[in-house]
Amino acid sequence: MTFRTRELVFLIPALILTTLGFALVYTHRSAELTPASLVYGGLFVALFVIAHLGCRVLAKQADPYLLPITALLSTLGIVMIYRLDETMAQQQAIWLVVGLAVFLLVLAFVRNLNVLRDHRFIIGIAGLLLLLVTAVFGREINGARLWLAIGPVHFQPPEIGKILLVVFFAAYLVDIREVLTVSTRRILGVPLPPFRYLAPLLTIWALSMALMVFMKDLGTSLLFFGALLALLYVATGRLFYVLVGIVLFLAGATLLYYLFQHVQVRVDIWLDPWKDPSGKGYQIVQSLFALAAGGLFGRGLGQGYLTLQSGETIIPALETDFIFSAIGEELGLIGAVGIILLYFIFVYRGFRISIKAREDFPRLLAAGLTSIFGLQAFLIVGGVIKLIPLTGITLPFVSKGGSSIVANFILLALLLRASDYVNRKESLQRSPGPEEGRPDFGNKVAVGQMTRYGA
Amino acid sequence: MDKSLRRLFLIFTLMFLALIVRLTYVQVWAAPGLKVNPSNTRAIEEEMKVDRGAIISADGVELAVNHQQGEYFFREYPQGDLTSPWLGYNSLQYGRAGIERVYNEDLSGQSGILGLTNYWDQILNRPHRGADLKLTINMSVQKAAANALGNRKGAVVALDPRTGAVLAMVSYPRYDPNKLDDLWKQLNSDPDTPLLNRAAQGLYPPGSVFKMVVAGAALQENAVSPDTIFQDTGTVTAGGYVVRNYGGNVYGSHDFAQAFAKSINTTFAKVGVALGADTLARYAGDFGFGETPPWPLAGAKSVFPDPGTMDKAHVAQASFGQGEVLTTPLEMALVASAVANGGKIMKPYIVDQVLDYHQKVLEETHSQTWMQPLTPETAATLKQLMIGVVTGGTGTSAAISGVQVAGKTGTAEVENGEPHAWFAAFAPANDPQVVVAVLVENSGTGGSVAAPVARQVISAALGLQ
Repeated sequence: MTFRTRELVFLIPALILTTLGFALVYTHRSAELTPASLVYGGLFVALFVIAHLGCRVLAKQADPYLLPITALLSTLGIVMIYRLDETMAQQQAIWLVVGLAVFLLVLAFVRNLNVLRDHRFIIGIAGLLLLLVTAVFGREINGARLWLAIGPVHFQPPEIGKILLVVFFAAYLVDIREVLTVSTRRILGVPLPPFRYLAPLLTIWALSMALMVFMKDLGTSLLFFGALLALLYVATGRLFYVLVGIVLFLAGATLLYYLFQHVQVRVDIWLDPWKDPSGKGYQIVQSLFALAAGGLFGRGLGQGYLTLQSGETIIPALETDFIFSAIGEELGLIGAVGIILLYFIFVYRGFRISIKAREDFPRLLAAGLTSIFGLQAFLIVGGVIKLIPLTGITLPFVSKGGSSIVANFILLALLLRASDYVNRKESLQRSPGPEEGRPDFGNKVAVGQMTRYGA
Repeated sequence: MDKSLRRLFLIFTLMFLALIVRLTYVQVWAAPGLKVNPSNTRAIEEEMKVDRGAIISADGVELAVNHQQGEYFFREYPQGDLTSPWLGYNSLQYGRAGIERVYNEDLSGQSGILGLTNYWDQILNRPHRGADLKLTINMSVQKAAANALGNRKGAVVALDPRTGAVLAMVSYPRYDPNKLDDLWKQLNSDPDTPLLNRAAQGLYPPGSVFKMVVAGAALQENAVSPDTIFQDTGTVTAGGYVVRNYGGNVYGSHDFAQAFAKSINTTFAKVGVALGADTLARYAGDFGFGETPPWPLAGAKSVFPDPGTMDKAHVAQASFGQGEVLTTPLEMALVASAVANGGKIMKPYIVDQVLDYHQKVLEETHSQTWMQPLTPETAATLKQLMIGVVTGGTGTSAAISGVQVAGKTGTAEVENGEPHAWFAAFAPANDPQVVVAVLVENSGTGGSVAAPVARQVISAALGLQ
């Protein structure tokens, strides 16, 4: 079976499942099945079949499991949102269409990984700008400056910015990898590269601290720093960088804890939300109650106690940050663990792409994108189940939020592109055929470029 | 590079494993505790989806109903404060009391066959209906009793002596259960304790109304007969304690029937001392003192002191219901019901039937004997004495033309203020259908204050108004 056929085979049950979900929510609401519920289902079948056909043309050899997982996650998200509020679901559906369009556009324009590598500095600067633009022009919502309003559309540029920065760092680390691993001097027995090669580490640290200070955004800051640290570790294989990074981050975070109220509040709530269960601890306490109400099997789609009579959700930000709690209540432990496993399989497939890659850039790109994706899922799920302090970020593909959906489809497209490249290379090596005229991404090139940009 | 990638994947594996472990802990292990956490309002939400059963009086008046808003049901009490002492409340904030608490399993449809249909309702996603309750309360009697008592602190109990069915139970002050959530703090700090059902939970010195017990004991023990002659000089001394008649009256030569009708303390002190502490205590116990009344709602134990600790002075005081004797209006109604019912006290009850929504009877209360303190003969003799109270004694203001009323007054002296006025009565004397006990706190004599209240309640119960 070819990769794409396999993709289709997995896509179909995922979409049937979601259509059933819509039907279930709809029947619970109006006690009868009307075409409206099936229209939603039909729409998403069509959308993902188009995405699948796009992959057939644009990324024939790409991993066949990532798209079905995405389909399941994003349509499950929309079922949950639809269950909460129909207008919100319509908005989300539009963003899903936009996301899939962007997905195909990225696959179409980035036909070649070279495009990314060659424009790494433009991508880096664009990423930086997107990450910081809201600090200047943004408006503050829920205590974080993350939003940019363009007409009626609210957008969170940092969502896209952080992905672009991962791409940039993957490319840049290929440039300087050799130097980072070849140490030239030792201080107290620790091999240290020249100071300027510690610069990337210090830069990402400074950036993440700036995110926390200026945008009051713990989540993006942690995510960004964690993903780039993972990337640095993969690139160098040195725990030293990781340790220095963690020490730096902890030092910075401790300082911020004492300097900034919002950091303190988050941590205090995590330590003991029961001190003020109807005030500061309300959100997390209600999240735990929702999960407890779900139990092992859940209360069933559409049957959870999620909204008040006024239509307001009991847990504030249920459709974004806390959507996992809603899933936990309605689908139970079984459904919630299912979601966690979907993320896990996604991460597993992502690292597989990375491990299979023979060259540095695709390898680092896949590792970086997978890390930031996996870390985001971990941080928000861990936050709402009170495993770690809560950071307000979205659950990839599931939460309501246009920028998040679009950003994650860009991430998926790049990951599939990397996968397609890696698999193509592999099959070429297995059966030597006509050269496709692509340049190598081997270390040779990296070192060559290092001399161009680095030293 | 492969090694660091594999390690990184291992870290992610451990992180996701931690998520699953923690999630399992929250959703399975900690869930029971979280569900009953006081901050958790989800159980309330579950309850609000249940179409709680209606509560209806014996004469078909709706006492507790629901109104539906969306998928939720809200409790309403159409009779307002009139029913609160026994109906209680079903508050989402403050829990339940009274019948709403005791019969919650029936009302919310959790017990018996309705508990099974609950699952079916859940599957079909339709509101679950609880069982309805039909009470023994007769709202016309209840209203008459509430009107007769008015805004005086006290209580009225009316029951059917033949079955124990409670016909009316009034306590004042009381509260409007519809406004409970707003009034809660105020109600709890009110020194007049409006949340207390004085009829069953209020303990008071009974005064002379307790002479029903003493006379019953004396007659049954053959210590006296109605025409045993006594001499009254206005006082009698027992163990150094000087007993006086109420109002300082002196009655001279009289028989026991007159002593009962006029409520002569000196004679009862003599009779009580002659019977002794042990006999009095035994009869008090036989009438239900020292036990919580066997009825579904809350009630206080009436108190007769331990005979071992009583000297003659104590016995003399106890003989006319003073000293350390304490009782509830419900208990006094039960004592009178023994006289009315041939010596037998029936278990009081307030819920007659539990019905499903097709009005099919699921459960029915059958009357049961609680105690038999007197023989039918003694009861008949005592009944004659009680008739004498109304025809020519202290309780003449309870008399109703055309109906023979039997009763006993009580004027319980308290440390500060006016005495508590008591009256316990039943009618018609030859075929008792209703027994009434009235208590009005700090209001005067039983004959002048409590007996007229009893008269109105009896009239209502016999359909004379």
